[in-house]
Amino acid sequence: MLSQEKNERLTAVGPGTPMGNLLRRYWWPVATHDMAGRVPVRRRLLGEDLVLFRDGSGQLGLLAEQCQHRRASLTLGCTERTGLRCGYHGWLFDADGRCLEQPGEPADSTFASRIRAVSYPVAELGGLIFAYLGPAPAPLLPRYDLFVWPDVWRDIAHAELPCNFVQIMENSVDPYHVEWLHGRYGSFLRELAGERAVPVVTKKHVKVAFEVFEHGILKRRILEGQTEQDEDWKTGHPLVFPGMLRVGGGGIATFQIRVPVDDTHTWHVWYQTYRFEGPAPPQAAIPVYRVPLHDEQGEWLRDYVDGQDICAWVTQGAIADRSQEHLGRSDLGVIMLRKLYFEQMELVAAGKDPICTYRDPDRNVCVELPMERDKFGGARAFREMWLRESSIRYSPIRDQVLGQFGDVA
Amino acid sequence: MTHCPGCGARLDAGAAFVQEFWAGDDRRFLCWCSGCGLLCTVVISARLVSHEPEH
Repeated sequence: MLSQEKNERLTAVGPGTPMGNLLRRYWWPVATHDMAGRVPVRRRLLGEDLVLFRDGSGQLGLLAEQCQHRRASLTLGCTERTGLRCGYHGWLFDADGRCLEQPGEPADSTFASRIRAVSYPVAELGGLIFAYLGPAPAPLLPRYDLFVWPDVWRDIAHAELPCNFVQIMENSVDPYHVEWLHGRYGSFLRELAGERAVPVVTKKHVKVAFEVFEHGILKRRILEGQTEQDEDWKTGHPLVFPGMLRVGGGGIATFQIRVPVDDTHTWHVWYQTYRFEGPAPPQAAIPVYRVPLHDEQGEWLRDYVDGQDICAWVTQGAIADRSQEHLGRSDLGVIMLRKLYFEQMELVAAGKDPICTYRDPDRNVCVELPMERDKFGGARAFREMWLRESSIRYSPIRDQVLGQFGDVA
Repeated sequence: MTHCPGCGARLDAGAAFVQEFWAGDDRRFLCWCSGCGLLCTVVISARLVSHEPEH
């Protein structure tokens, strides 16, 4: 168990909380590229209500949602050549929060110069729009490999989940769940439907290891029949601190990004890259799609790997009550992650940069992360399973991806 | 675990981390003290087996 006080410290992400202060030291995806247009959209990040827009000059802006004038929502606004105009009385704000116009005020008024909307830096990378809600100077937006690799196909899936982000992150340092949640439970559902067991994910774990390193926590495993020479042990794959998992194999590499919307909601983004052996035509745009959460009966979808994960995360509760849990030795990765969050919160409180903060452009050209190619002992078997059993099954380009890999549906 | 085994600082408040877990019959507490930086595991053993050295 973890005390209730420590659990709250671990999971509260709003302004002024220790975890909120830590998370504000990082850039977070706030939208996919297709969301930001002339029509302003409401977004919520780290417990703050925001409005995202792209003005007529193409400039992105992210402001606090409520207008500085009479507190109407700026989502009811008009994007102008420069800035966003409140739909209520026409006050105009630029992307830096400056108030450019107050149409109802006398022409000689200097009132506008004393008004400033809360604004945050935004930047586009790899088809995502990132925001930084922390103190200046903002660190560099990390150019993680999947966001910047040339010559790959990409797609982006997303869904908002009704639970705190930490319990989702804990899943990423919990290798044993694979053989039970996906291997046994997933196969049990198949048995009930008269289908064959799920392949690949049923193998037993013989040994697991976790190591804190410069990008977060590196996770290694040996499955039944493997040795320390297999990539699952030799290479492993990382939890990227503070809110991302890198996973994949066989030419597919995914970031699972867990964006803390507030204490009880997480925007989950599956950011995929596909690297084919042969040449592939370039993509015109990165496809974006939503991952469905429920079936026709309103039940959580759980007939595939990502659905089973989602089902486990949300059924732990909006905020998992860690004062009621019973951890064992198989949970040491989870404990390591919690301790890392606490340690990094303390670093920020002491005025220092937490890990994974980039300020040197030379170190941020392309941040390469380790990941197995022959995952679970076989690249192709993993890839074929993953194209069926992950959120990729909803991708609008799934058939084209299968064709480029030369796999069967 | 309410106090650091190393420096005696309180572990139940502030940034310090205390996590209970079980290993076999043993109840264990992983402790990290934000004051002195000590990282340790305190074991409440069901049974302690030891050997008295020759004397």
